[in-house]
Amino acid sequence: MEEFLHAPKWIFTLFGHQVVLNADTIIHTWVVMGLLILFAVVSTRKLAFLPGRFQTIAELIVVAFETLVHDALDGRNRKYFPLILVLFLFLVLSNWMGIVPGLGEPTRDLNTPLSLAIMGFFIAHYAGIQTKGFKGYLSQYVEPMFFMAPLNVISEIAKVVSISFRLYGNIMGGAIIIAVVSDLVFSLLLPPFLNAFFGLFVGTVQAFVFTMLTLVYISVQTK
Amino acid sequence: MAVDWTTSIVQAAAFGGAGLCIGFGAIGAAVGEGYTAGLANEGLAQRPEHSGGIVRTMLVGQAIAESAGIFALVIAVLLIFSDVQGLGLISAFTFLGAGLSMGLAAIGSGVGSGLSSAAAAAGIARQPAAQNQLTTNMLIGSAVCQTPAIFGMVVAFMLMFVDFSQAPLSPTWAAVLGAGLSTGLAAIGPGIGNGFPAGEAAAGIARQPETYGDATRTMLIGQTVSQSTAIYGFLISLILLFSSFPETANPAKIAALLGASLAMGFGAIGPGVGEGVAAGYAVRWVCRNPERVALLTRTMLVGQAVSESTGIYSLIVALLLVMVV
Repeated sequence: MEEFLHAPKWIFTLFGHQVVLNADTIIHTWVVMGLLILFAVVSTRKLAFLPGRFQTIAELIVVAFETLVHDALDGRNRKYFPLILVLFLFLVLSNWMGIVPGLGEPTRDLNTPLSLAIMGFFIAHYAGIQTKGFKGYLSQYVEPMFFMAPLNVISEIAKVVSISFRLYGNIMGGAIIIAVVSDLVFSLLLPPFLNAFFGLFVGTVQAFVFTMLTLVYISVQTK
Repeated sequence: MAVDWTTSIVQAAAFGGAGLCIGFGAIGAAVGEGYTAGLANEGLAQRPEHSGGIVRTMLVGQAIAESAGIFALVIAVLLIFSDVQGLGLISAFTFLGAGLSMGLAAIGSGVGSGLSSAAAAAGIARQPAAQNQLTTNMLIGSAVCQTPAIFGMVVAFMLMFVDFSQAPLSPTWAAVLGAGLSTGLAAIGPGIGNGFPAGEAAAGIARQPETYGDATRTMLIGQTVSQSTAIYGFLISLILLFSSFPETANPAKIAALLGASLAMGFGAIGPGVGEGVAAGYAVRWVCRNPERVALLTRTMLVGQAVSESTGIYSLIVALLLVMVV
């Protein structure tokens, strides 16, 4: 249970401010990024008309997400497709990291989902200003009545909270239940099934949910 | 032999917390499983020749609905066997809070998962050819229904294993008890609400298997948006757990902390169910009229945002009570 409560930290002083870095999160994020870069290099190294093994997988993923983004944004704004695809690939690999002994999910640290959610928030709102102009963007906050403005602003901020805490809570909860049940049954029989359900299945669903919601927020702003 | 009162009280609280945990936690899962078995039986009566698929789906669906109860069982077992020697009085409140958090949070998720798997079992009787799509949809839908219960478990676990012995007893007891109540109560509504879109998606796929993709996507968006208020409850719990409150015997501060958790907990129940109903109807009509999926999704999101507004009022009141008072 210790690893959930006292994660190792790097603490140092920079320009008179104390900087605390979560060592595990940073290492595991770099592992995920390394794996993604490796996959990209391997799958595009020898591009051929008859695709090889890795190229086939990459093509399947790319085509599936291209259709998804195309449908959600009604064919406009193809520029958001790389963002959505990479967001999903990063999250799904991050959520799967827990099944490797000795590694942990970077998404188990609230900082990871929160920073991705804030990124999505700014992208969606910038897209809204771009599409509707600054005046048109502001006018959506006084819908349906002008005094609803504070509530509309809060509900936009609440979206960042809900999207990030949903991912964090699910991944953290899965990791906890795996650790606790493994401890109770002395790591016999059950842990592989729990890892398959919480690590692979719930991890994939939650990565997809995070990606879809970011896409929906962009599509609502640009409609 | 002198009786160590503190230890006895902490032990009593651990036992009481375990009882509350599995007691509340068993309600939802059992209701959901019963509903699944009921609809599966109805399907069997109509299509006895497909009994294999129907019974298998029923059992898998029941197993997922049961997992909310199993989370509660795990926390109850941990509470019963936790070592109380040398713990301070604050542990009595953290143990009670842990039990309440997990127990209450499991109610909604059990019912929600049951709605999903019942519709899938009935759907296989109606459309045996779509068994694969129905099973996948049921697995995704009812796994997402478990999210509120998982929040309850995370809070229960933090209450049991984070060390509060350095914190002053007087406002902290209200904070830890409130942390349990906030997540636990807030999870009830969204847990039940998440079941409606999942059930409608399974029913719709049984009617028109080719709408599988649209139905599952709309279901996921609808479910996750209707979880928002459970997440606000989780947020209030984390704030209550990890802010340090200065020592005070002032009953107003204690009432403010407990009031914040009750405001968020009760305030989240209605929006959770309401947003779930909105998502359920959206998914139903996406399955009947897949060409209108963009319009239906947009209208669903607007409707959900409006029915969430009361949950946001609760969030504001809870934050004011914790931070300002």
